[in-house]
Amino acid sequence: MRPSESVPYPPLAWRLYSVWYRHMRVYTRNLFSNGLPPFLEPLIFLAGVGLGLGQFIGTMDGVPYIEFLGVGLLVTAGMWTASFECTYGTFIRMEFEKVYDGMLAAPITARDLIVGELIWAGTKGIFFTFAVLVVFLILALFGYRVIPLPQALLTPLFGFLVGLMFGTMSMFVTSFVKVINHFNFYFTGLLSPMFFFSGVVFPLSQLPRSLQWVAELVPLTHPTRLVRGLCSGRYDWILLADLAYILAFIAVMGLLAVRRLQKRMIR
Amino acid sequence: MTDTVIQVRNISKSFGTVHAVRDLSFSVAAASCFGFLGPNGAGKTTMMKMLYGRSRFEGAGTMDIFGFDPRREELAIKFLSGVVPQEDNLDDELDVTQNLWIYSKFYRLSAVTARQRIAELLEFMELSEKSHANIRELSGGMKRRLVIARALLNQPRLLILDEPTTGLDPQVRHLIWDKLRQLKKQGTTILLTTHYMEEAFALCDELIIMDRGKAILEGPPRRLLRDQIERYVLEVVEGEIAAALSRSALPSGVRADTVQNDLRLFADDIEVLRKLTEQFHSDHFHLRQTNLEDVFLKATGRRLHETQ
Repeated sequence: MRPSESVPYPPLAWRLYSVWYRHMRVYTRNLFSNGLPPFLEPLIFLAGVGLGLGQFIGTMDGVPYIEFLGVGLLVTAGMWTASFECTYGTFIRMEFEKVYDGMLAAPITARDLIVGELIWAGTKGIFFTFAVLVVFLILALFGYRVIPLPQALLTPLFGFLVGLMFGTMSMFVTSFVKVINHFNFYFTGLLSPMFFFSGVVFPLSQLPRSLQWVAELVPLTHPTRLVRGLCSGRYDWILLADLAYILAFIAVMGLLAVRRLQKRMIR
Repeated sequence: MTDTVIQVRNISKSFGTVHAVRDLSFSVAAASCFGFLGPNGAGKTTMMKMLYGRSRFEGAGTMDIFGFDPRREELAIKFLSGVVPQEDNLDDELDVTQNLWIYSKFYRLSAVTARQRIAELLEFMELSEKSHANIRELSGGMKRRLVIARALLNQPRLLILDEPTTGLDPQVRHLIWDKLRQLKKQGTTILLTTHYMEEAFALCDELIIMDRGKAILEGPPRRLLRDQIERYVLEVVEGEIAAALSRSALPSGVRADTVQNDLRLFADDIEVLRKLTEQFHSDHFHLRQTNLEDVFLKATGRRLHETQ
């Protein structure tokens, strides 16, 4: 019964690409409604907080507040998009739209599907960081300096890492979620506090000493410090530790997410 | 001598305390149509999913699909198969052609082959006019045909369909049956689940009737009909007559089956049943040949289970 010829199913790299391609096509199908908000959001945030509040603050950590916040937003853009993609997005595809039922009948394993989706989350991290960067560059053209140039031009690359970090963590969370509303706990309970206490809005040194070590454990702290270091040109050994944390976090969370979600898909 | 392309031996599967599939064995010949019949919750879908690695079986059973084991070689099996899941799962954001295009990538078809294949399949499934329609504009029957077209992209040797025509109108159902017969003629092996008896009768060369995870009856539909049930049935739906009849002694060779007020009398001799009808003074009865549905109901029982 064994067929004499081997079956020419696509190799791993192609399978990952085909999953990524599916997400890219679906996303870009509504380019206007999907692609505009990432450009508007940083503007609104900068106008509301940076300009308004910034007038009272002046400088923070040695730079104008609007610049401090601007660099922070280059990091959190990737966090938010990857987190939404791999919580609500993944959950809806899995439970409501049943998209995976079709994909898993094609020559794609559950692991291919999950990893391909994580790479897509990283890609969205790049795109959203890039969108924020473009907005800041346009502001720079009009004389409003929000971010240090040219160093900040490299930040979209870090957007990929940030996307992977929060993509893997969000998928891990998704693997536990049975009811879509439970994501509220994740967003309100974990991501929002992280946004405020990871050195994005104010420096960690302002936190009480007893709390600083908590901030060191939290994932967002590390890409934020890394990107700030890069943008300010203040290179420090600790940035290497941050990079190591980021890579280890992606590896561990990715492994956990794949394991748990795979079990949910293949039963 | 026909080739066996699927060989399943002693497969069991449980979810917690629920035994979805119990010790099931069967084999499927190349270019034949094999059907799983059973009430909801009988384990049909689980059985199908195990064949292409979407669900894992446990224990000592074995499976061989084109020479591959789904536990270790799911990719090969999936590459050679097309699957039509129970629920349509098209991408609403994309149009008809784009839905197929995305899947052509999963099989790594070249752009030229993909375009050609998509045009062929839309034509085959009579969807050419809808090639750039949005999914939301499609009727239920069109969506179903598109999902079938999608399963056919890679010219599968095995087509797995989970309730292909549930909820569709008779015209679409007959069209789909016709297409499936054409595919079979071209050499495609077809596996389907259904709870439509006419569908099983119209398409399947072999079938298994399943109930609570077990195979109850197995064989070609015509043989099941011949061996497993009397030739005629008299259906009596009027309560009083049914009650009177079930109290009276029945002629020999007549078997009665009652569920609430619905009485069915089975016999091989139609004259015996006809005689019974003469005492009714009512036309609330129906005398007919038995069909696969009668076999099915006899095998699985007429009352509802907790899983239905």
